[in-house]
Amino acid sequence: MKPMPRIWKVRAVGLLAFASLAACVVGGYDGGGGVGYVGGFYEPGGYEYGRWGSGYRVGPPRGGDRARGGDRARGGRAAPSIPHGTRGGGRHSGGKEH
Amino acid sequence: MAHSKGSSGNLVRQWLCVALLYAAATAAAHAALGTAVVLPPLTQPASGEHHVGKVVWTDLVTPDLEAAKRFYGSLFGWTFRGVPGDPNYALALLDGQPVAGLFQKTLPAGQSPPQPAWLTFLAVRDVDAAQQDARQEGGKVLSKAHYYPQRGRQAVLADPDGAVFAVLAAEGGDPPDYLAAPGEWIWSSLLVADPKQETAFYKSLFGYDVYDLASEGGSEGDAQHYILSSDDYARAGLNALPAGSMRRHAHWLNFVRVTDAANTAERAVALGGRVLVEPHIDRHGGHLAVVADPSGAPFGVMEWSDTDTKQEPQ
Repeated sequence: MKPMPRIWKVRAVGLLAFASLAACVVGGYDGGGGVGYVGGFYEPGGYEYGRWGSGYRVGPPRGGDRARGGDRARGGRAAPSIPHGTRGGGRHSGGKEH
Repeated sequence: MAHSKGSSGNLVRQWLCVALLYAAATAAAHAALGTAVVLPPLTQPASGEHHVGKVVWTDLVTPDLEAAKRFYGSLFGWTFRGVPGDPNYALALLDGQPVAGLFQKTLPAGQSPPQPAWLTFLAVRDVDAAQQDARQEGGKVLSKAHYYPQRGRQAVLADPDGAVFAVLAAEGGDPPDYLAAPGEWIWSSLLVADPKQETAFYKSLFGYDVYDLASEGGSEGDAQHYILSSDDYARAGLNALPAGSMRRHAHWLNFVRVTDAANTAERAVALGGRVLVEPHIDRHGGHLAVVADPSGAPFGVMEWSDTDTKQEPQ
């Protein structure tokens, strides 16, 4: 049996290297800081919320809700609301730029 | 003649070899630069604004990208386009503006399979500092800082209660503050076991001002409701997990603004989703509901009136 010519060995190695690199680039999520998107995390199962009590509130304040404690409550400041301005229309409620 | 055939064969082989080497070099360059995934910037043109602690982005992780597109496209009118470099990632748009990312990932098998979810991105100026602060304050780094050209640098963290969130230092700045339009994210809530401990953690990372709001009625646990604020805007709510809830795992829950929460919840069910919390009036005077998409990923829908009139919850 004739040995494989040297030029073909070099080409075979090149082809293998290319295939490996191409696989890396197309890979998608890798979770480890290479290429591809990083950020897809599943959470522990069990999303049944059951019943939320009548006093259970999760929404934002309208801007007039008095805080009963916390950093800014001592000065009698109401909890702020979400932004009221329109897109590209600037600010409509108070706040500082930075 | 035989000589001619041999020459042309050699020529073809040489060209093939050159083409393969070129492709290999291109692939190597992409791999080295990490440019495989191209996510669009958060703001275009660059805003140059920074709003540390603001929720600036959300990504859905789902086992079925096409099903998610159908569901959210029908429910909110979102359209979708792919991004170069990762066929598993799609960008959701509303009126041509990016509103979210959808990422397909195989759901691991097991006795208690994990849950598809929306990942909440909070703005920071320095991702590395946020990672360090998170570790010092009892949190974890789940995915180390990763840079995406145009988008910026991001990392995925878990707070001391185990709620997963991401931090993002946007390259062109954060989106300006404006009232979300229907179909856009308007509010985020963090539901945890130990609200007091969590306020300290998030305050340390984002410098929030914290407001303690009393909920009306309910049990003592239900009554814990904090507002995390920056730039004099409410950025997120922080609640104790509801006393009667069967779900005990801390998590972020994001709300899309809708004009009719009850109608949206009904349509979500018709599209293959489920209602997790029935529509009801909340603190701000509008209705909200919590639903799950067909893969089980939970999210909220919330009405918000442009008027300043506050309707008291019943």
